[in-house]
Amino acid sequence: MNMQQAIKMTAAETALVDAYTAQIGDLPGDGAVLSLRDTLVHELRTAGLPTRRIESWHYTDLRTLLRAVPAADASAFADRVEAVVPGSSVLAVRSGQADLKSLPRGVTARSYTESLLDGSAVVGLTVLGADDAIGRINGGLVRGGLEVTVAENVELEAPLEIQVVQSHGQAHTRFPVFFGAGSKATVIERHLSTSAEASFVSTVSDVTLAEGADVIWIILQQQGMADTHLGQIRFDLGKDAKLHLFVINAGGKLVRQEIHGKASGEGADLTLRGINLLGGESHTDVTFTLSHDVPHTTSSEIIRNVVFDRAKGVFQGKILVAKDAQKTDAKMSCNTLLLSDDADFSAKPELEIFADDVQCGHGATVIDIDHTQLFYMLARGIPENKARAMLVNAFVAEIVEELEDDEELVEALEGIISAWLEKHA
Amino acid sequence: MPAVQETIDQVRQIDVDQYKYGFETHIEMDKAPKGLSEDIIRFISAKKNEPEWMLEWRLDAYRRWLTMDEPSWARVRYPKIDFNEIHYYAAPKGTTGPRSLEEVDPELLKVYEKLGIPLKEQEILAGVQKSKIAVDAVFDSVSVVTTFKEELKKAGVIFMSISEAIREHPDLVRKYLGSVVPPTDNFYATLNSAVFTDGSFVYVPKGVRCPMELSTYFRINEKNTGQFERTLIIAEEGAYVSYLEGCTAPQRDENQLHAAVVELVALDEAEIKYSTVQNWYPGDKEGRGGIYNFVTKRGDCRGKNSKISWTQVETGSAITWKYPSCILRGDGSRGEFYSIAVSNGHQQVDSGTKMIHLGKNTSSRIISKGIAAGVSDNTYRGQVSAHRKAENARNFTQCDSLLIGDKCGAHTVPYIEAKNSTAQFEHEATTSKISEDQLFYCLQRGIPEEAAIALIVNGFVKEVIQELPMEFAVEAQKLIGISLEGSVG
Repeated sequence: MNMQQAIKMTAAETALVDAYTAQIGDLPGDGAVLSLRDTLVHELRTAGLPTRRIESWHYTDLRTLLRAVPAADASAFADRVEAVVPGSSVLAVRSGQADLKSLPRGVTARSYTESLLDGSAVVGLTVLGADDAIGRINGGLVRGGLEVTVAENVELEAPLEIQVVQSHGQAHTRFPVFFGAGSKATVIERHLSTSAEASFVSTVSDVTLAEGADVIWIILQQQGMADTHLGQIRFDLGKDAKLHLFVINAGGKLVRQEIHGKASGEGADLTLRGINLLGGESHTDVTFTLSHDVPHTTSSEIIRNVVFDRAKGVFQGKILVAKDAQKTDAKMSCNTLLLSDDADFSAKPELEIFADDVQCGHGATVIDIDHTQLFYMLARGIPENKARAMLVNAFVAEIVEELEDDEELVEALEGIISAWLEKHA
Repeated sequence: MPAVQETIDQVRQIDVDQYKYGFETHIEMDKAPKGLSEDIIRFISAKKNEPEWMLEWRLDAYRRWLTMDEPSWARVRYPKIDFNEIHYYAAPKGTTGPRSLEEVDPELLKVYEKLGIPLKEQEILAGVQKSKIAVDAVFDSVSVVTTFKEELKKAGVIFMSISEAIREHPDLVRKYLGSVVPPTDNFYATLNSAVFTDGSFVYVPKGVRCPMELSTYFRINEKNTGQFERTLIIAEEGAYVSYLEGCTAPQRDENQLHAAVVELVALDEAEIKYSTVQNWYPGDKEGRGGIYNFVTKRGDCRGKNSKISWTQVETGSAITWKYPSCILRGDGSRGEFYSIAVSNGHQQVDSGTKMIHLGKNTSSRIISKGIAAGVSDNTYRGQVSAHRKAENARNFTQCDSLLIGDKCGAHTVPYIEAKNSTAQFEHEATTSKISEDQLFYCLQRGIPEEAAIALIVNGFVKEVIQELPMEFAVEAQKLIGISLEGSVG
């Protein structure tokens, strides 16, 4: 540990520690919460941000990539924006204060700030491991968020949209969400910025699905091209619980989206779909781990990446099958369209398996647009740029269409994707 | 399902306690004292009558090694190795280097006979069925004999121990040694650069197709020794060579270290085929003893349209840490990696490959089959990368794992890195028992269940087995014990 104490702090590390020191009297929570915050920030100070020598950060050297962190500013939360899907209940988080006016029936929520203040938040504030830099930064600096509970057997008709809208400065939010047994809901977790000024966002969603819950959770990251987004979602799937997790990255300069899940009840099922639209000089990393802890659980992951300009993309996926988790069925695939010679993409799809009666597989491809497909369209008189756009669109739209039960949602997401592609292609 | 049972039984047969080559030979040995220091390196260098530059090269590597840390990223666990408890040099007494077969200690010849390694030239010549194989036999730290040297010389092929080559062909060695695996490459390669004692040297001149299979047979015999061999193979423009290495060691309670470096250089249009049947002592069923195998193998496709192909059958060693790689530098060059890794008992395998695409129109293919049984851990770790200028780089990777029993682990850790939009990479991996779909497909076509399972298991490793030179394919299959029909090869 001597070596770690000897590190020379980078500007970003100093800024994060300073942000803590400056706000220390003002951050919600004392007692156990405060001492945990102290520990986390101390670890950040001594170990620094992760470098590529830490295996889980191999392709995202946060210490080098994170050059600067804007100063914290409590007024940096912007006004709420229109919901993605008309008719959704919007829960906007402003400066740690959640707006709880429009809660649908069967849903209870309270501000996470209150949990920090009364100390009940301390249980979930822990980090996932020594390499959990996001958990550490967020745990140290978190001010607010929402604690949401969807009651047993409640079926939400319209999506619930959690909005974090930022104009500049820093935002550190947490969303512990509990879905009761047999409940059914669609949640859209949306991060966006309203100005070109840089902002720094860390967010941790902690999602629990009780027996038989059926949830669609969409993470829509649409931050500005100067922003840093460090997002994490943790989930735990109970018996026969079903989670369809959909991650769309369509913004940000430096993005790390972590997904860490456990299938801890028999019959649990995860569907993970990811679309990464990468352009400009951005660096986007999606890191996923899923632990199949008990027998008879299933998962399927498809990640589609489109990389333009000088963008860099990363996908790390790790499926763990525990010793007794027989009959696990897990499939993971990561497909990338690399559309510029200055772009690059790295993938590390891992399997770690300790049970023998399982079906696990993964596939990864990195290619340019299929020339035979392009030729087919050109031969039918479609101009090249349009043909290319259609093929790229088809490449990602395919997995949006799986959400066919909710037409409005599919339409909204397709709209966002098309708009992004039009702007960048 | 009797066929599955048969597979399991056969894998069990190669179980740690069934190790066939575990005998020890008592031969008077000439040993360096335990430990590692500049003096020991000077001792080794003097024993080999090496020129001054070679000694300096070793000492530089040693000084660098002192500043390095042991790598810890692999999925292998072992107690800390005390590098000062090892003899870095052990040679059968009276052997100063390889010489003619008649002069070799008959005790030594018996060892190779027992191992089934053909050292007698005439015997092979007399055999009608057998094709010729030239063998370099390395016993602990020295090469004891190299066969067919004369015949190879006629074709212009140089095949000798590396110690001889350093004396007889210093210019060639100096030009290529360390040019693929630099002395500072990694902890074990640097250690090897400092203390390597023997190994094989192959040089195939321009346009020559090596007339026979070349092979080196490594044997660790002495207690508390490490084996540090160094192999260097150079194929000049348009040349072709196929090379095979085999290895065994006696059964002992303590662990022994093997840290080899293999360098391959393929110039324009040249092809090198390198096959390994690795059968070091794997330790007993409690996990005691066995070889720690930390090996750096790398091929450099330096010339255009050159090709390097690695085939490995890994059944031995307590720990395998080995990533035969290809640097695809020349335009149009090709790298291949075929591997079967079987782990049983307490064995830990962390093996795979690297395909580094640097030149235009380069292609690579990786087929890896892992079979884990007992309480072993079997990891495939591989990297495929295309650099900015690697236009039209093409890779296909397939790594499949088969698990036998519920106490073992199979892991896949691929790194895929594309920096060129014209690159096409495909990677697929599966881990399973026998696929129900495949079985159903066969059954539906009227193939009885047992035959269908046999077919599928055979098919599982076939792609790799058929890449081995004919003479060794059968041997390898026996070693794996996976064949259910005994007819695939």
